[in-house]
Amino acid sequence: MIALVGVGILLTALYLQAESFVDPQIRAIALQSLLLATLLGWLAWTNRSIDLAIIAALAVGVRAVFIPYVLRRQIRAFRWKVRELRAAHRVTGHALAAVALAIVAWFVFQQTLATVFPEAGAALPFVLLVQGLLMLATRSNTIVQVVGYLEEENAIVYAGALFAQGFPLFIEVVVFLDVLGVVLVGVILSIQRDVTGTPEEASLEELAG
Amino acid sequence: MNGIDPTTGLFVVLAAPAAAAILALLPHPRASEAVARTGSLLAFAAACGLLGSGVSLRWGSYLGLDPMSELFLFMVTGIYATSAWYSRGYLRSISRPFLTPQVYYALLSAFAFSMIAVLVVTDLGLMWIGVEATTVASALLIVLERKPASVEAAWRYTLIASAGLTIALFALLVLYTATGTLDGFRLAAAPPAVSLPIEMAVALALVGYGTKVGLFPMHTWLPDAHSEAPSPISAMFSGVLLPTALYAFLRVYRVLPSPAPVVITDLLLAFGIATAVVAAFLLQRQRSYKRLFAYSSMEVMGLAVIGIALGGVALYGALVLLVAHAFAKSAAFYCSGSVLRATGTVRIDEVRDLRTSMPATGVGWALAAAAVTGAPPFGTFLGELLIVVGALALGLVWVAGVVVVVILVAFLGVNSQVGRMVFGGADPATRAPPPGSDQGWGIPYLNLGFTVVLGVAALPYLTPAIRATTALLGGTSP
Repeated sequence: MIALVGVGILLTALYLQAESFVDPQIRAIALQSLLLATLLGWLAWTNRSIDLAIIAALAVGVRAVFIPYVLRRQIRAFRWKVRELRAAHRVTGHALAAVALAIVAWFVFQQTLATVFPEAGAALPFVLLVQGLLMLATRSNTIVQVVGYLEEENAIVYAGALFAQGFPLFIEVVVFLDVLGVVLVGVILSIQRDVTGTPEEASLEELAG
Repeated sequence: MNGIDPTTGLFVVLAAPAAAAILALLPHPRASEAVARTGSLLAFAAACGLLGSGVSLRWGSYLGLDPMSELFLFMVTGIYATSAWYSRGYLRSISRPFLTPQVYYALLSAFAFSMIAVLVVTDLGLMWIGVEATTVASALLIVLERKPASVEAAWRYTLIASAGLTIALFALLVLYTATGTLDGFRLAAAPPAVSLPIEMAVALALVGYGTKVGLFPMHTWLPDAHSEAPSPISAMFSGVLLPTALYAFLRVYRVLPSPAPVVITDLLLAFGIATAVVAAFLLQRQRSYKRLFAYSSMEVMGLAVIGIALGGVALYGALVLLVAHAFAKSAAFYCSGSVLRATGTVRIDEVRDLRTSMPATGVGWALAAAAVTGAPPFGTFLGELLIVVGALALGLVWVAGVVVVVILVAFLGVNSQVGRMVFGGADPATRAPPPGSDQGWGIPYLNLGFTVVLGVAALPYLTPAIRATTALLGGTSP
């Protein structure tokens, strides 16, 4: 179960790197969150853990349903063509970089941390974290950057559930990350729409240098 | 030593900004301003009292103080107080602010509260929440002036800082799994045996918190946010937010026994040198005086990290540099705010002859530029000198050489640009400030005075705290 869901999460991460249309990316991150919630639910059931059950509920409620819903409304509000223009010609490169980075991250994890994290698939959260960072670094569309942020949050939750159970204040940390995600989506995207009218990061003269 | 009861001090330093953040939402703007000013002064007074007491304290499971937290509390509350007092004139000059004065003062106090919380918690997980809370509290302050560039800067800041902090959180997950606790004080008192996972956790924490410190190559949010934020907030960003993030890293770093493993000190040295060198050269080509000072902050953070990596007397120098820089850089940003209010431009080539049109602000600005770049008799000079001496004492002549070159390049870059704006003759392309605009220079001079005091004869209260913090981090005092 853990390995199967882990592979599913990794596949959604690689799909996100290779996709330039925004709407499918939002659906993919919702699916990734749902897969993670399934894993959390399974772990909550087998370990009889209320904490993990709460985190699973948060993953479904906030990252699989609420934030994707708001993001899709943002696309309509922007009257956007649902495509990330600047990334459209570079997705092949992004996908190759993502695969290469996944292999490197896996190798680094095995070399440094495998002794304290012997669990099967323990390297996957680290790989997912690196994938989220790659997305944030290579994409200029703010909605896609939010998707990258959600992927990073999924990586943290994944790591906490898989090998750091008992981490103090973990629910509080996850709630905090969710609040930040909602603030990102709800407030700053709205301000950006009102002030600049576009979700693509602009190259503003004032910010040059 | 004199001081106040530590428990009372701890309560006041936390409660004053928290209460100010809530009460600032009162309906009348002047009442909000008064609340923020009073809260900031109370917090600063409590921090001064704690610095004087110089004690270590545990209060319950999650709160605690030691000389390092007391030293950083002094910096944070000091700049919080001066920013709260400086804000009135600046807010008046904004024609269509995105936030009401009440919300502005509430967020200002919440921002200060989140930094203070980082400094008084003992649990590294709570500390991480505090650092992340600084992002939430300050992001909206950047968009105060409702400009597209401000929104862009706020977005980059929130996203890049949060991305970095998820790496820091991952580091804490690794640390917790390897040690079974996140109690920073307990881990520092009895460091676990060095192992690859613990070294990896510290390295990841350096990358994660380093993003918020502004270390190269994760620094890209810094010049945007510092230059687009209103000047009182820029002062808090440059003066104390970056050191607060560095403090969070230092708490993780203290998990390692002293002396730290060479691989970690080498990593610190590499990040510090890369940051200082890149910033010193990038600031040469800036066209905005606020970005110029933002890159200068990045250069100083790089130098401080070099000092921490070297340890010994260089570590003492790094702490002196951080404290002096906090007050000097805030003075520079307050003067920048006054110039921006008067001229309406941030472009260096559109500002000239401030010596004549705004003499008090202009001269203060030139002095602040000299202070942030390490000119004597300011405290920054002492800090930078000790970092160079520390490198030479270890036989690392090449590091000392790099530091000297960085200091000279940054000094020339910042002072030549500011010198042109203050002492250069006006021409038709420049914007002349209207008569009577030479205002708001009292607080910058106050902060500059402090950096002189620190450089010439360190404050009696401050030196013991810097010495104690140096000892906590495994360094030696001169």
